[in-house]
Amino acid sequence: METVKVQDITANDLPWVIRYDASRCTLCGSCVAACSFRAIEPKVERRRMVFSEGDLPEPKQRFSAVPVIRQVRNLTQYCRGCGICTKVCPNDAIAPARNPDTRHPIVTRCVAGDSIKRGGRKNLEAGTRTLDKLRIGRISQMTDPSLDAQRHTFDLLAPFGRIMPPGKLPFKIGTDGKLEPDGQAPPVRWIYPVVIGDMSIGALSWRMWEAVAMAVAYLNEECGLPVRMCSGEGGVPVRLLKSKYLKYMILQIASGHFGWNRIVKAMPDMVEDPAGVLIKIGQGAKPGDGGLLMAQKVAEHIQAIRGVPKADLLSPPNHQGLYSIEESVQKMFLSFNAAFKFRVPVAIKVAASATSVSVFNNLVRDPYNIVGGFFLDGIDGGTGAAHEVSLDHTGHPIVSKLRDCYLAAVSQGRQGQIPLWAAGGLGRAGDLAADAFKMIALGANGVFTGKLILQMAGCIGNEMGRCNACNTGLCPVGITTQEPRLVHRLDPEKAAQNIVNYFLAMDQELRKLMAPIGNSSLPVGRADALVATDRGVAERLQIQYVC
Amino acid sequence: MAAQIIGFDDNHQRISTQVLLQKIYHSLEAGETEFEVLSSGHHNIGGPLWTEDGSPLKFTVKNPGQRVGSFGLDGTEIVVEGSACADAGWLNAGATLVIKGDGGDTTAHCAAGGKIYVAGRVGVRSGALMKHDPAYEPPQFWVLKNTGSFSFEFMGGGIAVICGYGREYLDSVLGDRSCVGMVGGTIYLRGPVSGLSDDVWLLDLDEADRSFLAEQMPVFLDKIERPELLEKLTHFAQWRKIVAKTLEERKHHSRPTMREFRREKWVEGGIFGDVVRDDYEQVAGLVNSGDDRLKVPHWQDKRYAAPCQASCPSAIPTQERIKLLRQGKVKESLELVLNYSPFPGSVCGEVCPNLCMDACTRRQLDHPVAMKELGRLSLDAAAPTPRADSGKTVAVVGGGPGGLAAAWKLRLLGHRVVVYEADKEVGGKLMQVIPDERLPRQVLRAEIERIKELGIEIHIDTPVDAPLFEKLRAENDAVVIASGAHNPVVIPFPGHERMLKGLDFLKAVNAGRKPKVGERVVVIGAGNAGMDVCLGAYAMGAKQVTAIDVQRPAAYPNEIEHVQALGGKILWPFFTEKITDKGVLGKDGRLLEADTVIIAIGERPDLSFVPREWLSDKGMMAVDGCGQAVKAPGVFAIGDTIQPGLLTHAIGTGTEAAEYIDTFLAGGELTAKKKPDMIPQSCLSKELFRPRNRGRFCVTDAMDETSRCLSCGTCRDCSMCLEACPEGAIRRIEQADGGYEYVSDDHLCIGCGLCAGICPCGIWAMELMV
Repeated sequence: METVKVQDITANDLPWVIRYDASRCTLCGSCVAACSFRAIEPKVERRRMVFSEGDLPEPKQRFSAVPVIRQVRNLTQYCRGCGICTKVCPNDAIAPARNPDTRHPIVTRCVAGDSIKRGGRKNLEAGTRTLDKLRIGRISQMTDPSLDAQRHTFDLLAPFGRIMPPGKLPFKIGTDGKLEPDGQAPPVRWIYPVVIGDMSIGALSWRMWEAVAMAVAYLNEECGLPVRMCSGEGGVPVRLLKSKYLKYMILQIASGHFGWNRIVKAMPDMVEDPAGVLIKIGQGAKPGDGGLLMAQKVAEHIQAIRGVPKADLLSPPNHQGLYSIEESVQKMFLSFNAAFKFRVPVAIKVAASATSVSVFNNLVRDPYNIVGGFFLDGIDGGTGAAHEVSLDHTGHPIVSKLRDCYLAAVSQGRQGQIPLWAAGGLGRAGDLAADAFKMIALGANGVFTGKLILQMAGCIGNEMGRCNACNTGLCPVGITTQEPRLVHRLDPEKAAQNIVNYFLAMDQELRKLMAPIGNSSLPVGRADALVATDRGVAERLQIQYVC
Repeated sequence: MAAQIIGFDDNHQRISTQVLLQKIYHSLEAGETEFEVLSSGHHNIGGPLWTEDGSPLKFTVKNPGQRVGSFGLDGTEIVVEGSACADAGWLNAGATLVIKGDGGDTTAHCAAGGKIYVAGRVGVRSGALMKHDPAYEPPQFWVLKNTGSFSFEFMGGGIAVICGYGREYLDSVLGDRSCVGMVGGTIYLRGPVSGLSDDVWLLDLDEADRSFLAEQMPVFLDKIERPELLEKLTHFAQWRKIVAKTLEERKHHSRPTMREFRREKWVEGGIFGDVVRDDYEQVAGLVNSGDDRLKVPHWQDKRYAAPCQASCPSAIPTQERIKLLRQGKVKESLELVLNYSPFPGSVCGEVCPNLCMDACTRRQLDHPVAMKELGRLSLDAAAPTPRADSGKTVAVVGGGPGGLAAAWKLRLLGHRVVVYEADKEVGGKLMQVIPDERLPRQVLRAEIERIKELGIEIHIDTPVDAPLFEKLRAENDAVVIASGAHNPVVIPFPGHERMLKGLDFLKAVNAGRKPKVGERVVVIGAGNAGMDVCLGAYAMGAKQVTAIDVQRPAAYPNEIEHVQALGGKILWPFFTEKITDKGVLGKDGRLLEADTVIIAIGERPDLSFVPREWLSDKGMMAVDGCGQAVKAPGVFAIGDTIQPGLLTHAIGTGTEAAEYIDTFLAGGELTAKKKPDMIPQSCLSKELFRPRNRGRFCVTDAMDETSRCLSCGTCRDCSMCLEACPEGAIRRIEQADGGYEYVSDDHLCIGCGLCAGICPCGIWAMELMV
């Protein structure tokens, strides 16, 4: 007699159900050896048959006990649908199947009395994206010939740094009537319009983080693409700080200020300035919430670099200080401009919000010329760990918000002075060039991306609930884990190569989009190049509606 | 005399291209084959035109417009006196086009046949998209000087010769970024070149190239009327050629591999090299053996106690006893039990409620392993041989089951033991109160005899009082207080004096005094003792016995069933108000008519022989985790003197105390031993055992139980693991002492956990490494 009670957790309560075909399984053990979530286990099943073969009832029994692979039924070791079992199965005998009737969101809360946490991106409304309703609809032909994507010289550069209008540049007319420098102009770096967005050394495995850094160096040194990477908050390896490759790194400071001790200490040994500093105020995936690194990922080297013991590391939702918010922002801008003697541009990253335009307008005034960029992160951004309710339900889509900010600057005649960078689910469909291009046409100077980079390296998570277990530290592909045995699964060279290749492909594709509209440089704000197949989107973004 | 085609009308106004071309068509139809065209930028002069008889056409053109010679067919020769505009020779399909000056942009664009000779320079994108139709000769495109940028884009075939004459000072005779997308054809060039696309190779000439140039150069120079340059332009060491990369070569990038980049250019030793030890050369698979396994198996025989062992208050490891039976070691098996209890027949086999059977895993399949039968098997087993004499003496106060168990174990451990019993016979409650029908006396006596035969000194009729106790303590190395609980608890209900005390009643029954009871008996208390009283009442002639309790009866189901089988009733909850001559009156007004009322709600120990301060608040001996009196080192207490319990509890605490005393006598430090944990049911693969049909179930032979015991937590040596391991990583190793172990080879094991997942006994466990 099986004693199953109503409250017992069974497979049909869980988000994924393991489909297993015992007749195809050879019990090679691969699936159970590979599953990092311990969501499947070997078990013995009974087979019993009662039958009668004769003309009369002559009961006979056949009994066997067969080892099989079975789904684990509990709320800590449950299947995340990563599909590693399917990947390693030589016989196609096992696969996770999405369970549309899952009770997981309810039972997890009921049992744990705690909020649900996970990584990944927003899992609601997968498939409906504003950007997919936009097309590059103004094609140059005949009188304004389109450019040749392959041969034309394109200028795919975006500013990171405060752009001064010509009249405000620090020049004066000398006695001989010639222009002379008059003071220091704010630093500006012209970089590739796709920044690899801030993922920390705690969020990513050391192999993954190094792979990204290496890919960035390779793209610069070998491919001539001036791609920059933002460190994420949580420290930067000292060896990198002291290397020439620091010039490709944008250092991040967030509310936890993790890792800055070693950055400051490394300053006398720096042979290059960093590419920039990014002050993180908010994150699109979990706006209004601080960083979260689950204890299981706080490995020894993270503890050392961050200067903390093993614990769940929560950054406060805002930068703490004795100041008002405005003063606090000012403090950060001034301090980080000063930290590198005003040679390194400093930008700010905020979560897209109903109030983003006000924030942006405040920064646009920038009387001290120290605001080097406005990074706006939308709701579809990814995260290594967040409360699911924040991930799914808080935040603001990036597209209209970016557009609003751009148009706000335009209305003041100040567009381009504070470069606008947008993110949040860009490249979600795998097609970053198109998304980046559309955002740029709507007014962004460039975009930044994180989760997609992981997907390039082998992350199998998606927005339909697959995997999304970055918070567990059990990443099956060695990307968001600090467990050596899982980290070893990731080939850092292949991961780096994939990133490089994706960028090379994307670079071609960006040209393929710039050519038809006849732009040699990035078409920042050229919304006339876009049309919308949705009237609401068209009206909201002030672009042409087509059908 | 060639036809004169003039691009002006009589008023010296320029005529349109259409009118000019019509003039040519008319002349052609009129049979003209030579044309001298004075153009004024008219386009498309020269093709596609032909004659019916195939005789050649010749055009001499001055001042042409765009696309002169475009679409030209074989047999057509066009000579431009001076320079040409853009697209000269565009889509040339076979004509010979000679430009005596410079060519414009996109000269020879898409040419697929014929020959184009240019005496000067050509503009950007010249030679772009040239092709070679294999049905015809390849197109040739000769330029004396240089081309503009972006030339030969997407060239697919044909031959171009760029002589670089007088252009040695340029960075590149092909301008910048030429040959993008070039997939075929050959470009010969003389002079510097730079900014070529990655799609092509720049090579030295081979013999075939030299002979082609040597042969064709005079033709070219003749056409452009510069034969004097032949010597200058045929120093082939100054020449090179451009050919397209093949499909295969195109896939090759000149960039370093990421490995090369990491090793040669990246931060030495990696950016985390100072804080993380990791060899990036090593990339694990998703399935690995050795150090990258996510789980590692361990063979943990006897790491856990079987449920029977863990739940047995006497801690008898039945799974081991059965394993010995299974191995044919019958004597060892039956003796094994005697190391835990001297009463396997009387207690395990008869009176014990057998908590082991309640816990038995087999219960979930069909029926628990038959413990009673197994217990009885040891009834006739000989006592194990005691250890050599230690020279120490221990006094045991009380010869009940606990005291005797302690005495027995102490004796086995080599100590001299003297038991002091107040009654005329040892056996305690087993002898005094257990009804005969529950415990045949010959069974008990046989086991008591076995105890005595071990050499235990017994003083009967010797109640221990305070002076005697002091004396015992002084004269012995240790004392065990095992005097049990013999003071019945009575609740002072009104009329309580009417009640008989259960313990006294049972003692009287067992002593053969046949106490009288009425026809209707009410027993207050439905615990184990209460049920014994019920049985006793029936034995003494009662017709209707009712046991009452304020709570769910604490007696075991088989005890209750036994009473119910005799017609007894159990009533609960029932709260007694008072006892009257009519019977028991409940607080709810119910009257249970009774001729005799017996109370059996437990007993308290009489510990008046020890100092008051040794006792707990509840009047029990205060002992530590080792059974030693907190206030009196060397004095140990067991059984009902420390906590009311079952007979098996008394035996268990007795045996346990004996082991602590052994340590104590050896001068060792006493620390409470942790009992092994009960194996979690989830570790066991019960499915490997076929349930027997309960409808047909009957224990006929205790030895047969060996096939039903799952051997929880103790390896049954079935080798399921060895057979199931997909990597063949498990071996069975015989040990010198006759034992064995199973070992998994780390170099082969992939950590799948199949061994642990299918082990019937729960021996294999996976250590989680992640």
